[in-house]
Amino acid sequence: MSLSSALSIAQSALLSTSRQTSVVTRNVADASNPDYARRTGVVVSTAPGARMVTIQRAVDQQLFRQNIIAISAWSGQSTLAGGLDRLQLAVNGVDNASSASTAIGKLHNALQLYATTPSNPNVGATVVDAAKQAIRSLNDGTQAIQAFRAETDTQIAASVSELNQLLAQFEDVNKTIVSGTRTGSDVSDALDKRDALLKRIAAHVPVTTHMRADNDMVITTTNGITMFETVARPVSFAPSAAYSPGMAGSTVYIDNVPVSGGANEASGKLAGLLQLRDTTGATMQAQLDEIARGLISAFAESAPPLPDAAGLFTWNGAPGVPANLVNGLAGRISVNAAFDPERGGNVTLLRDGGANGAGYVANAAGTASFSDRLIALGDRLDQPMAFSPAAGIAASSSVTAYSASAIGWLDHARQQATTQADTKEALASRTAEALSNATGVNIDAEMSLMLDLEHTYQASARLLTTVDEMLKTLLNAV
Amino acid sequence: MKAVSVSSAAISNAMRYSQMRMQVDLVKAQKEMDTGKVADTGLALGARSAQAVNFHRDLDRLNALVDSNALVSARLKSTQDSLGQIVSATQNLVNVLTVAVAGDASDSVTSKSGSTMLQSLSTMLNASMNGEYLFAGTNTDVRPLDDYTSPASPARAAFDAAFLGHFGFSKDDPAAAGISAADIETFMTSVVEPQFMGAGWEANWSSATDQAIVSRIALNETTQTSVSANNEGLRKVAMAATLAFEAFSGNLSAEAKTAVARRAQALAGEAIADLGQLQSQAGIVQNRVSDASARINTQIDLFEKHIIALEGVDPYEAANRVSDLMSHIQTSFALTARIHQLSLLNYLT
Repeated sequence: MSLSSALSIAQSALLSTSRQTSVVTRNVADASNPDYARRTGVVVSTAPGARMVTIQRAVDQQLFRQNIIAISAWSGQSTLAGGLDRLQLAVNGVDNASSASTAIGKLHNALQLYATTPSNPNVGATVVDAAKQAIRSLNDGTQAIQAFRAETDTQIAASVSELNQLLAQFEDVNKTIVSGTRTGSDVSDALDKRDALLKRIAAHVPVTTHMRADNDMVITTTNGITMFETVARPVSFAPSAAYSPGMAGSTVYIDNVPVSGGANEASGKLAGLLQLRDTTGATMQAQLDEIARGLISAFAESAPPLPDAAGLFTWNGAPGVPANLVNGLAGRISVNAAFDPERGGNVTLLRDGGANGAGYVANAAGTASFSDRLIALGDRLDQPMAFSPAAGIAASSSVTAYSASAIGWLDHARQQATTQADTKEALASRTAEALSNATGVNIDAEMSLMLDLEHTYQASARLLTTVDEMLKTLLNAV
Repeated sequence: MKAVSVSSAAISNAMRYSQMRMQVDLVKAQKEMDTGKVADTGLALGARSAQAVNFHRDLDRLNALVDSNALVSARLKSTQDSLGQIVSATQNLVNVLTVAVAGDASDSVTSKSGSTMLQSLSTMLNASMNGEYLFAGTNTDVRPLDDYTSPASPARAAFDAAFLGHFGFSKDDPAAAGISAADIETFMTSVVEPQFMGAGWEANWSSATDQAIVSRIALNETTQTSVSANNEGLRKVAMAATLAFEAFSGNLSAEAKTAVARRAQALAGEAIADLGQLQSQAGIVQNRVSDASARINTQIDLFEKHIIALEGVDPYEAANRVSDLMSHIQTSFALTARIHQLSLLNYLT
């Protein structure tokens, strides 16, 4: 009793205050770390006078869950929006300048001019030039789309390997947490690390989490595929080095279950990339192929009962005219050498017909100002034809309108993805802010706490010296 | 325990997100102010950008049509001019023939006026523009009419051969003086006429085609925009002139010459009526073309309006947006700076 017990109480006060100070210091040090959750040193009284400091970590599961959902959605949509922007630039160019639609418009105009002065082969040569431009647009578009798909494939592979790494780290951290919780040591740092890892995993794949005993966490994707349960499940993917039109990309497997790109709302970077590679890339390619088919059949030479034969625009299956969607046609379409003056061809075949033999000649007399066929060709560019519904656009329209619709289709997807990305970005930053408010550090609060602690420490120290003096007085008196 | 909490990180990052958004918007608004169009048409219109693309393309096509219509109009204008000249030359021929019918003109004058008519007819029908013969039908790279007065003319050779074949001697033969008016009438009807009105015209005279040049003058309107040298009126002129030239340069009797002059006069008269018809047809087409161009120009205005309605932005609104955003950004800069000054640390000594 008495002085010595007062001394020991003051001692324990000093101890708990210094521990609390270290918690405050740690809080201040990590104030700007977004993955850090505030610790509180809670003082618990045990035996009379004796106090113990236990460290609690601020948690808000609800907000955290909202945050990782928002991160998944944002990451998916911004991947999609960025990819669509790149595709739009690569295929259609700035202000659609290099799009097939623009090239077809120019071809139409050149054709109109040639139809007005059919006797002038120089004007005819401008039609061939315009046709070459259309072909360049289609060929380059095909190349750009396939290169884009290959590049996306590489990104998927990178995303998958990062995901595997993250899951492996997650496994380590989770192990530490479980064993730490069992032994009752402070696992706050490991918990911070686990939350940070979870946020990074969520950027790739949308996840839901379940807590089990001893802080053990289970991760499944929102579709219910297990990603982590005691051990990390493998994410596997076999990348393809190059893509060609019509080639299907290989699938990503999590725990041997295939992952799909999802329909419209891509959530998570992986889903966004899969959607770009498989849905967007493949559909755009199909659209270009259909535009190519439209051009070949609009310029085909027809002379019933003879079969239609490829005219100004030809392909590797010429002289036949493709009747259905041909994968990669846009990459294989070319200007018929018979029409091309640079390759010894004759432009007037366009006016007279007959590139496929005398049976197809429309201008039998060979007169110089025969414009009927040229006018008919212009009309055919405006005549509706049936397009494959697989390409995602209204099935019956003229090739001119179809090429414009292809631009509309892409822009629609871009608009959707960009709007979504903007909304989700706002949501992600809002939830991150709310989470930070709920679990983050306020330096001012910590500093005022520090003042308190300082006072407590001063008082305890004062007590110690006072008791010391009292003891000294006592000893001197003896 | 705190009832309300705000973290230091949240305070210092509070402005960051909105700051970034505002700066993105500022770039957009500036671009819109400069161009008067939305910054990214595709993003702003989405699926409707197909509509904008169609409008742009149609606009280009309409402008191309206006250009090509100008070409067609020029061709028709030249055609009209040539037809007018042919009509007035034919009128002169009629005048000379009227005198010849009365027997008051010297043979050489009548013959000369016939040959002049033939020469000017071939000059005018061979008029070309932009490298195309105006009256050649669609066969515009071949001269539609040879010069009849040149000795190499196949038409002339054919006429001479026909004369010889019918009468057994040439027109310069003294025996030609014995041909009666009735004989020459028969010759004109059964031999000369098929040369001009029948198959002989295309065999010996004209390399033009009956088929005229067809042009598209509006998005869905095509029309014939040339006059062929094979037109009946032009054939009649040629026949009248040839008869005058040939009959009055040969040894025919006065009786026969008068009969020829009468026939030629009648033909030239008919030709003037036919040519008038032709002129008015060409005029109608000219009118159609200029109407089409006017219509297209109205359409162009309309399309431009549509395009502006789709893609345009109000420049004043964009300017306001720019200044608004700028003051917002300034405020938020100032706020950020003030917030960063706001710290308990400044008051702890």
